[in-house]
Order: sequence, then structure tokens, then C-alpha cells
Amino acid sequence: MGGRDQKIAKKLEKKIVKKGFPDVKISAEEGIVRLNGRVNLWSEVITIGYLAAKTKGVKGVINDVTAGEIERKGEEKKVTKRDVYDNVSLPKRADVVIVGGGVIGCFIAREISRYKLDVVLLEKESDVACGATKANSGMVHSGIGESSGTLKQKLNVKGNKMYDKVCEELNVPFERDGLLIVITTETLPPKVRKVLPPFISNFICEKIIPYVVFRKGKKAGIPLRPVKREELLEMEPNITDKAIVGVYSPTYGVVYPYEITIALAENAIQNGVKIALNTEVEDILVEDGKVKGVLTDRGTIESEYVINAAGIFADEVAEMAGAREFSIHPRKGSIIIFDKEMKGYINHSLSELILPQDPHTKGGGIFTTISGNPNWGPDAIEVSDKYDKSVTAEEIDTIFECGSLLPDFQKSSLITYFAGLRAATYEEDFFIKASENVLGFVNVAGIQSPGLAASPAIAEMVRGILREIGLKMGEKEEFNPIRRAIPKFSKLGIEEKKKLIKENPLYGNVICRCEHVTEGEVVDAIHRPLPATTVDAVKRRVRTGMGRCQGGFCGPKVARILARELNIPLEEVTKDGPGSNLFVGKTKSLLAEEA
Amino acid sequence: MIEVDVAIIGGGPAGLASAMKACEEGVKDILIIERGMELGGILLQCIHDGFGTFIFEETLTGPEYAQRYIDEVKKTGINVKLNTMVLEIDSAKRIIAVNQEDGLLEIEAKAIILSMGCRERTRAQILIPGDRPSGIYTAGVAQRYINIEGVIPGKKVVILGSGDIGMIMARRFTLEGAKVEGVYEVMSNPGGLTRNVVQCVEDYEIPLHLSHTITNIRGRRRVEGVTVAKVDSEMRPIKDTERFVPCDTVILSVGLIPENELSKSADVGMDPITNGPIVDEQMQTSVPGIFACGNVVHVHDLVDDVSKVAEVAGRGAAEYIDGKLKKRRSPIKVKAGRNVKYVVPQIIHGEKFDEDIRFYLRVKEIEKSVKTVVLADGERIFEKKIKIVKPPEMVKLDISPDILNRITGDELIIDVEGEEDEEKS
Amino acid sequence: MKRSHNFTCIVCPMSCQIELIEEDDKILEVRGNGCKRGEEYVTEEFTNPVRMLTTTIPVQEGRIAMLPVRSERPVPKNLLRRCMKELSKVRVKAPVRCGDIIYENILDTGVSIISSRDLSIGNYSEFR
Repeated sequence: MGGRDQKIAKKLEKKIVKKGFPDVKISAEEGIVRLNGRVNLWSEVITIGYLAAKTKGVKGVINDVTAGEIERKGEEKKVTKRDVYDNVSLPKRADVVIVGGGVIGCFIAREISRYKLDVVLLEKESDVACGATKANSGMVHSGIGESSGTLKQKLNVKGNKMYDKVCEELNVPFERDGLLIVITTETLPPKVRKVLPPFISNFICEKIIPYVVFRKGKKAGIPLRPVKREELLEMEPNITDKAIVGVYSPTYGVVYPYEITIALAENAIQNGVKIALNTEVEDILVEDGKVKGVLTDRGTIESEYVINAAGIFADEVAEMAGAREFSIHPRKGSIIIFDKEMKGYINHSLSELILPQDPHTKGGGIFTTISGNPNWGPDAIEVSDKYDKSVTAEEIDTIFECGSLLPDFQKSSLITYFAGLRAATYEEDFFIKASENVLGFVNVAGIQSPGLAASPAIAEMVRGILREIGLKMGEKEEFNPIRRAIPKFSKLGIEEKKKLIKENPLYGNVICRCEHVTEGEVVDAIHRPLPATTVDAVKRRVRTGMGRCQGGFCGPKVARILARELNIPLEEVTKDGPGSNLFVGKTKSLLAEEA
Repeated sequence: MIEVDVAIIGGGPAGLASAMKACEEGVKDILIIERGMELGGILLQCIHDGFGTFIFEETLTGPEYAQRYIDEVKKTGINVKLNTMVLEIDSAKRIIAVNQEDGLLEIEAKAIILSMGCRERTRAQILIPGDRPSGIYTAGVAQRYINIEGVIPGKKVVILGSGDIGMIMARRFTLEGAKVEGVYEVMSNPGGLTRNVVQCVEDYEIPLHLSHTITNIRGRRRVEGVTVAKVDSEMRPIKDTERFVPCDTVILSVGLIPENELSKSADVGMDPITNGPIVDEQMQTSVPGIFACGNVVHVHDLVDDVSKVAEVAGRGAAEYIDGKLKKRRSPIKVKAGRNVKYVVPQIIHGEKFDEDIRFYLRVKEIEKSVKTVVLADGERIFEKKIKIVKPPEMVKLDISPDILNRITGDELIIDVEGEEDEEKS
Repeated sequence: MKRSHNFTCIVCPMSCQIELIEEDDKILEVRGNGCKRGEEYVTEEFTNPVRMLTTTIPVQEGRIAMLPVRSERPVPKNLLRRCMKELSKVRVKAPVRCGDIIYENILDTGVSIISSRDLSIGNYSEFR
């Protein structure tokens, strides 16, 4: 430890001891703090991490403190793999290896597929978009929720502007339906409300807060418009009486996070990228401070450039390379989805402004997906387990409170709920940097909200970093940015439907009663450049099972089409990859086992 | 554009019986539109027996019951379109449907009979927290997998809900060699018929845990187990009674919802209690010429009742297109009174009655030695004693024309009176 | 030795809880039944409980994968599992008519297993 580092460690030790954790060991190197030891609760691990991150001079926090109380084990059960899911043979070498097939990894893959490079993307799950991306709300934020001056805000504002073009190229729906930030009688903290005369707090809510929000937006280049109460009621007739005024953010939009990720992956494949699914990284090979390759459970790939876009596991991948400068502490967010029959009930996405704002989350809101399903959430809960995607009863209750903006909303129209894990660092900003210790290793970590909105800008930034650290990138003339989408039967007009069925009669077989998805779309999804080989992969591409009956009608049909198209027995079809089989065998097979 | 006299949406028991009746009544051009590959609907996967005791006076399996109607339909000139999904119906009785052979079909019908049946309530609708692994099925889907698709979902099964399908699946899994760890029911009484408690659960020594629920589902790829707990009188789980039950499969039998998206697209008036269309004594909905019958109207316990009421709809449709439908007068509303959750039909229209009307009642709570009472303008026009009423068993009241013709006013109230009420009065 | 057995009557919705007391298989007393039919029911359930067996048989070249079947009459309750075992080895080939005998005289009960529906030829794997 250098003198500066010693000073940091000392200062931090004092703080941590004062908080009541004398046994935590602290060391620092080049401003990167490493914490070890054991405490009782996971929440204490988090507290210690934040203490470190807020200490002056600290550039990164590696928090390896463990908690006695870990609710669930972090180890995932190893499952046998099957050839059917191994979509490509793993190449021996590549110019660039991207670890992780979330929206970030896929955006980077597509971005660098513009150049004459051999690019391989590795994904441990059976499809892309299986981590945080899958459970993302799909909100393309404007950037108004981010603190001024952060990398998050800069990339968010820039990324948001890039969305129209990229979605057009990829043929994925994107709607700028706008966000209404709602200032209510509960915006000011109860303590403030208690001491201030009502006319003053009303004045603050009506005049000052909208102005402050507007100014913040102006500074960051985010167009905003204050909305008076009458207009607010016109825009959202069903809003609560608590609403005072609003601030409208017209650039805010929605996209299906998995749909854009799949589209990016497909377009990257079209342009020469190899995407290896069901391939888990076991080690990053480093020699003389330089990246040499990646060891996976399916073999080794030589490469001098590795991009770590491993999301929630980014700290573990960085550790493999010896380039860890941060910790990822999973922060769970759960979302509740309602039936699209509630579509007309809200016109814009809504977010109630509650002061003081929680620094670690923008908090839940109400938003409508592209298909018109109102969503509530997400919440934010620190969890110790990187596989904990459970939605608890308490969370459901918390999220229902988001709905207080719409008092008459029919909660019984709920169709499902799900959770995802945000890849939060203690610094709470994106960590996008080439490693100084390991040449050729680029960390793209800590990408949580507004990561989806920022992702096009992140990809551009990473392209710049690669060039800076010496990767030769010659432009590819034949790069094709256009990706053809699977036709969506339900969205077509009568004549278009007729034409499509004429071309391919499978489009005349509607197999999903809620979303009117046809067999043609399912078969198409299975045979795309990035094949859908599981029930959930099909669902993400064509929406089978996303409607109100949640697969009750289409489930058996999708399973059977998968078996037929993949040429496997029905009992080998899985929900989302090896280990998630839908069935234990043929009917009668258990009776035969008994014998 | 195809023109038909009567279009029937759904070829399950309700659709089949209504088609047969309309045909008998002389309707020439009848079209059944069925989204499945065969006629028979959900009966085809209900391989157990117990169907048909009223209609055929013998006990049949579901497929046998369906076969009887299918054989009859085949003998007539009724047209059938299989593998055909109806996408939309409007109040002018135009139907848009689609299949592989014909492509998009535009059909104009003089009358429509809605017989789409119902769907199952899902895990989310009853808010079971936890993971979302593979291995969670509604009972009907599991039944389809085992009985039609030929695959078995799991070896170690926990069933939530003691409705009839839940218990029938407990037996089905057991007979196929799976272990059913228990049937958990949040209410303090079984949700299905006693016969099924005895023959599907007790016969196989499957534990039936009343006043219990699942409070958590655990499993990353596949279900690894569930947490179950006792519930208090307000059906809230009692924390310290929680225990973990390892299993690989969770089967949910937690209720059925009439499937009325198409009815709504045709602007048919809905009953928020039954979740089905509001119908009159001829099973006509609020849209003239659109009729509804079977589980699309409300969920029945017996297919025999479905067939019977479907005949009413079939005849209604025939009379409608002949212009002979009973003259409509201002409707008499039929209201659910004491201990009655709902009554179907919800309105009656006829001016002069010449035959019985059968009212179907679902009670709210179990009650012994009761009297069902029909009140018109405060006057008790009908009374019938019943030994016991239970929510799982529908009460049927046949009211004769001489009583019906005495109705004055525009409202009927149907009460279930307990012994105590009687003593008081 | 005297023994008591409890039954839930399923004859009518009253669901009477009926107790049957026997000594060496001789019924001494039936109590708790609300009517005569209850007594008949428990006597039958005690002396010779029978159940209808319904199950499925894998079909080759059929329109669907499984053929629903049933016993033509109820079979002794204690033989149900053995019947299932016996039938688990059986395969049938389409076409089949409703009522066709699929398995004769199962476990020497004199009861045959019959088809529950018509099942025509098809290739279910070419599902649509």
C-alpha cells in the first residue's frame, strides 16, 4: 500500500469501526479498496460497501465481506447440456470475445460487427437477454432521474436520442409515449409538510419543484415541459386527487428489452458475429499483463481483446482476469403486469415524485408496454444471492402502493409478476473502462438503470475504447444494419393477413388465444439466425404465453412445435434451457420405473 | 363473406348440444367453429367417468359423452370448421376467423351462440410469491399433457386447490405412478364434490390439508419445493405454521374464469359476479341474436347442466331467426338475495310463460335445512326446502309457468333462508 | 375383535359421516347415516368396494397420442393399481372405435377394458 492508499484505508477503518464492525479487514491499492471479513447481516455488508464508496479518494470498492445470514446459496446446480442447444461450434480464436449476451453485450457485438473483426459472444444461458435484460421494465429513460454529471446521465441522454434510428434499422417497435412526473400532496417529506403552512408547501409543489426539475433537465439537454393541474387531468383523467402538477418528459419511451436484444443479436450474426449459447466462461487467460484468451466449459478461444459485459457476474469475470475494481451487489426489482384490457386507463407513463429521492433507485412507477399492458414497479431490494429472482409477498404489497396514483385501477386484472437483478456497484455509476493492469480487458460493468436507455451510447463508447487500446478496426463495406422482423400476425390488417396466409399457411393457424400468435411465427422464431430452442425463448420472440391465460392454451402447442422442429422427443423440451424440462417422461414411464 | 343462419363459437359440450337443438328446430345452415383439431372441447381430456347421469342416465367418461354428441352431429348437415380461431365478433354478428385451409374467414350470421367455455385461473392471479421455475401447471394443462399429449409433468406433486379438477388430477397422477404429497385448500371445506374427496383423495390416502395455502414456490430451473402454511379465519397465512415440502411439480386448481374476450368485442353486457354475459331465460345476451351457454356464462359443476342449458340457447337462436322469439317486454331483473352469490338467468323477458324456467344458483356458504324463496314485489311466490346447500354444488330451481305468470313488478329476488330466519319470521 | 370404520357417504350432498362396526367381517352396526341409502352405501363400501378404472393407452399412428379407456364395469378397488401396472405395457394401433375391447378380462376379474372414443388414423407428431 502506498502512502495515499494507507491514508484511505485508515480513514475508512475508523468509519467502519464506528459503525460497529471492528473485524472487517481493509486494504487499498491505487485507490481500489478491498474489504474482507464476516458480519451478521447482508444489509450490513451493503452498508459497509457504501461507506467505502463514499470515502474520499476511493476509486473502486471490492467488497468481499460475507454475511452469516445468507438466505440462499449462491451456487447454481450444474446441469447436463444437450447438443440441441449448442447452436454454433466454438471457434479456436477471435479478435474480440464478448462475455455476456444481455442488451449491453449484444449492442456491443452489433456495433463492432461494422468492422472487419472476428467477434465471438459467449452466453451461459440458452438464449440472449436472460439476465437483468429479461426482467427490465423496457423504459427508455430521458435521463432526468440521474444525478447531474454522472456517466450514467451523460450516456442516458445520448443513448435515448439514438433509439429511433436503431429501432427502425432492427425493425423493433419503439414508442416515445412520454413520462409524466407527478407532484402530489405527498411529494414533500411528512416532516416538512408538518411544519410548513399549507399555502407555502403548495407553492413549493406547484411552482418551485417543477421549476427545479425543468432546470435540471435544461442543464443536461433533456426537453421537459411543466404541466398545470388542468392539463394534467386532461392528459390522465384517472389520476388521483392527490396530484398537484406535473412535469412532462416527451423523449421518454418504451421498448421490449428482450426484443431489441434478440434483434441486435440477430443483426450481429447477420454481420458475422458468432454467438455461442450455453457456454460458460471458466477463466480469462492472461500472460504478461495481456489478455490471451478465454477458457469456457466448451473449450478455449484465443483472443487479445475481451469485453466483460457479464452483468450481475461482471465482478466474478473481472476477478478471473485479475482486473477487478468493483463489486456487484444484486439489487432485485420486481414488476407486476396487468391485462391489456386496462390499456385505456392510462395514457402516459407515470412516476410520482417523492422527496427526498432514494439515491439508489428512481423507485417504481406505472408504465405501459408496447403491447399496451400496464406495468407497476419495479421496487428495489438488496439480496445476497445472484440467483434470487423470487417475488415475495411483501414486494407485491409494496408495488401495489405504486398504484396509488390511479385509485380506481382494477388490481384483479393482474396477469403476472417477475423479478430481475440489477448489477449495482457501490459507486452507483456505470464502470466502463479498459483495465490498466490487464491489457485488452475492458470492463463494462455496473450497468443498471438507465442501462437500457444508455446502451446504444455505451456500445459506441466501448468501440472507442477498443480503438484506443490498439484494436485495428477496418470498416466492413458489406455491413447491413437492417434486420427483418418476424411478421406479427395480430398487428396486420385483413388484407395483409390474407396475403401472409397465402404465402405460408402456417400463419393461418392461431395457437395463442390471448395474443393471437400463429404457428408460422413460432416456427419462424425456432429457425432464426439465433434459434429459439426453449418455450421461454419462443415466448420472448412471439409473445406466446404472455397473455392473460399465461400459456394455458398455447403451452402444449408450443412444446409440441418445438419438439417437432428441433426433432427431439416432447419430454425433452425445456422452459428455459437444460435442467428446466417441462416433463419427467412419457405417460406410463413412471409405472414402468416401479417394476 | 360467408353467410350462415347460426354460427356457434366453440365445439365443446355447450356448442354441440346447442347445434343439435337448433338443427332439430329446423335451422338449415349451422356452422360450428372450433379452434381445436376435434369436436368435444375439454371433455376429450376428462377421461374419468361421472358424466351423463342426468342426460343419458348412465355414467360415462368425458370422451364417451362427447362421442355421443359428435356421432349425432355427424348424422346431420351441421357444418364444422376445425382448427379455426375466431379473432373477432361484432354486434352486427359478423365474425372474423382464421384457419390454414381457408385463410381469413369473414362470416355473417343471423344468430350467434357463444360457447367458448372457460379458462383456468393462474398462479399470479392468486398471488403466490416465489421463484418462477419450470414445473408449475394449472390442473387442466397437466390433464391435457398426461391424457392427450402423452407426457407426465412430474413425479412428486403438490396440488393447490381442492376443486374437482384438482382432486381428479391427484388421482390421475397417483395412478400414473407419481407421488402426490398433498392437496392444499385455503378454504375450510373442500372445493369440489364429496364424491371426488372420497374417490380421488381418500381412496389413495392422499393428505387433504384444509385451511392451508402455498406461501412460496422455490426452484431455479425446475420446482424444488413449496412452503405451505395454515391460514387464519381471514385466509392470511400464519407465519409460524410454515413448512417446506420438497416436490418437483405444483398443480394449481384455483378456479375457472369464463372466457369472454369475444363476447366483449361484440359489446355483450357482462355480469361482474359470474364474469359471463348477462342472459335471459332463452340464453339471449344483451345483443339481440347473440346467445350464450355453458361455462362461458358461468362455471357449471356438471356437463349435463351445460347440455341442457345449451338446448335452451339452440332453440332460442332458432326462434330468433324465424322471428318467433317470445315477444320481449321490459325485463324482470333476477337478483341474488341472502346467501346467494349469483343467479342465472339474470333477467327474464317473456310476456306469457308456457313452460318451466330453470334458475341456477350458486350459494355463498354451506347451510343446512334451508328454504329457497322467490320473492316478487315482496310476495313469496315460490318456496322449496333443501337439506343442504354448498358452494361447490349448484342449486337448480324449476319454476312453473303458473307461478311465472303471476309475477308483477320488474324484479325477482331469490333468497336462501336458513332455519333461524324462519324461526324469526 | 370389534372394529370401527368411518365413511363419508357420497349418495347425496349431505355427506353424512357414517360409522360401521364389525366383528370378523360381520357388520354389527351402522350409525350416523341420515337415510337407508347411506347404510347400503357403507355396507357395499365395506364388503365389496368397487371403482371404475379410467386411464389412457399409448396409440400408434393415431390422431392423438393417447387413447382414453375405461373398465366396462367397476373393478375391485384394491386391484386398481395392479390394473394400471398391467395396462402400462399395452399399446394400441389406430383406428379404434368407441367401445372396442382393448384388453380382455383384466386380472381375471371378468372385466374388460374398453375404448372411450373413436380414434382415427393420423400422425400426431405432425401436430398443428
